[in-house]
Amino acid sequence: MATLKYLPLALLVPGFGAMADEHRARVNYQIHCQGCHLPDASGFPGKVPRMNDFVGYFLHSREGREFLVRVPGVSASRMSDEDITEVMNWLLTTFSPGQLPESFEPFTVSEVAVLREQREDDPERTRVRILRQIAADVPELASELARADD
Amino acid sequence: MKWLDQITENTSRSIAQRTSRRGFLGKVAGLLAGGAASVPLLPVARADEHSNPHPVESGDVNSCDYWRYCAIDGFLCGCCGGSMNSCPPGTEMSPITWIGTCENPEDGKSYIISYNDCCGKSSCGNCLCMRSEGDRPVYRPNQSNDLNWCLGTKSNVYNCSTAIVIGTALDK
Repeated sequence: MATLKYLPLALLVPGFGAMADEHRARVNYQIHCQGCHLPDASGFPGKVPRMNDFVGYFLHSREGREFLVRVPGVSASRMSDEDITEVMNWLLTTFSPGQLPESFEPFTVSEVAVLREQREDDPERTRVRILRQIAADVPELASELARADD
Repeated sequence: MKWLDQITENTSRSIAQRTSRRGFLGKVAGLLAGGAASVPLLPVARADEHSNPHPVESGDVNSCDYWRYCAIDGFLCGCCGGSMNSCPPGTEMSPITWIGTCENPEDGKSYIISYNDCCGKSSCGNCLCMRSEGDRPVYRPNQSNDLNWCLGTKSNVYNCSTAIVIGTALDK
């Protein structure tokens, strides 16, 4: 049955099934990410950003895509470029497939290697700015942000 | 009070006409049997959902040398009225936590350990353990155990630390 377990992800992300290991990605998420982002990636209001049903919105802009690798938790991680790439593609398709654009292309190792060297200095402010820009073109995100402001 | 007697009589007659005693007893028995069977299933189902492993373990769970504590920095909840997996009464487990990996000498495998802090009462003071293997400086906050991990709880007052096995680490 192991094949079936990997099938949905392999179908969602072209190339993911061939290269990536879902189990390894999940374990690396547990060790390096879930301590703060929590097992279901729901985060914590005001302290840890929610990724569940949300993080995929960032892929609607080039800057948003780059931001996800430049944030301190990712760029300063002890993980290798290969492991980060695998975890990023896994968590996007696992926790937020509904928010990804149709044109979504998985992160590549060489892309991650370059981006993590450009560490984001002011993640809070940059995050808000990027999300507002994306919300101008993505009504679902706009209403989500409006609800959060209420 | 005659009206009350009338209502009671009518209701009883109506129920008696619509149901049988055997049916009633059957339903009660079914509820008891079904209820008894389904309640204990809940925690099992939850454990399966998160697929937390249950490794064979040995040793003194309240000693700093115990295998799960390889990356701990704090008071053992087992010495504070709680256990490795649960907080002492009157404290709240922080959802945001410090996570490490430790090797279980019983099976030689590495497991992922979540050191959720218990918060809401002043420091327990018993069984202070500082093994801190894999600990990193505070400028790498997600890999440092020198921080107060009482985040996301009502109180940020630290009491003690648990050591919960949440997964199997990758083979090296």
